[in-house]
Amino acid sequence: MKSAYITVIGNLPVKFDIEQARKIGPVIASANANKSIMFDYATCNTETNLQDMLNSASFKDSTLLVPETLFKKYVFFDGVTCLPEFPGLKSYDIDPEKCSPQTLSLMLAVYLRQTIVFLVGYDISNPIELTRLKSIMVANPDTKFMFICNPPRTYQLDDLNNGFCDTFIKFQELIDRAK
Amino acid sequence: MQNKAITYTYSLKLMWPAVCRNRSVEILKDRPDLVDQMNKFRQKVENVLKIVCRKHFQVDATYMMSGVRLWFESGQDCYDLIIRQPEFEWEIQPELSVINSVTSQLQTFQIVYTPTGVTID
Repeated sequence: MKSAYITVIGNLPVKFDIEQARKIGPVIASANANKSIMFDYATCNTETNLQDMLNSASFKDSTLLVPETLFKKYVFFDGVTCLPEFPGLKSYDIDPEKCSPQTLSLMLAVYLRQTIVFLVGYDISNPIELTRLKSIMVANPDTKFMFICNPPRTYQLDDLNNGFCDTFIKFQELIDRAK
Repeated sequence: MQNKAITYTYSLKLMWPAVCRNRSVEILKDRPDLVDQMNKFRQKVENVLKIVCRKHFQVDATYMMSGVRLWFESGQDCYDLIIRQPEFEWEIQPELSVINSVTSQLQTFQIVYTPTGVTID
């Protein structure tokens, strides 16, 4: 059965039991920022990261999604898959080969059409990243985006109707209820 | 314990022996010798793949005029076959098809032979 939830792990290291999040839906990693955790999907757009991920035990069963040029180079590696063509990339001004892995993960989460996207370890300190996150949120009004962080909560996403912010404690409570 | 389903991700087309290529069904009805050669070729391919492949493979039963389609679970097996085709005196159509596990689409790429190996375009 298709899950309503999907968790995106951003570029920042996460101190949370992601296995818990995997019980309510798929988890997408952004490159090799959290190498000790097992993921369903992982995105990356640099060869160095991909090689590192291919040699990491934690990514053995993950689907590694890379842009087409990189995919052509690693096509014969099991587990390496080509990123789908995301709609509206040009309007966001996002180049999949140059943007951050967390943006790729977010676009993949939206592409997979889950109703609620949890953003864990997602770096919004960079204004470009924040703008891109907001653009994707505006373009997908039917999807709810929940930014998970340690207290104090951020108010950066409060201007959007589908943007929420909550703490890891609330996230754990939600997982416990949804399981 | 439930067994994990086999997913054939990689696909190549192995050309028939030169005399059997691009023969219509009508011609094949009149030439049982060609049909016999094609059946033996398919059997040989299956036997060789049983020896060289490390993971699951499938020889497609669908008849095609140009060759026989092969499906591989592992990319390494697929690569090995491309590299080792002179050893078996086989000719592979320079086209690689890969099923995208996220979109379920069959993506096709050109195989380009270089002095150091193969690249995908």
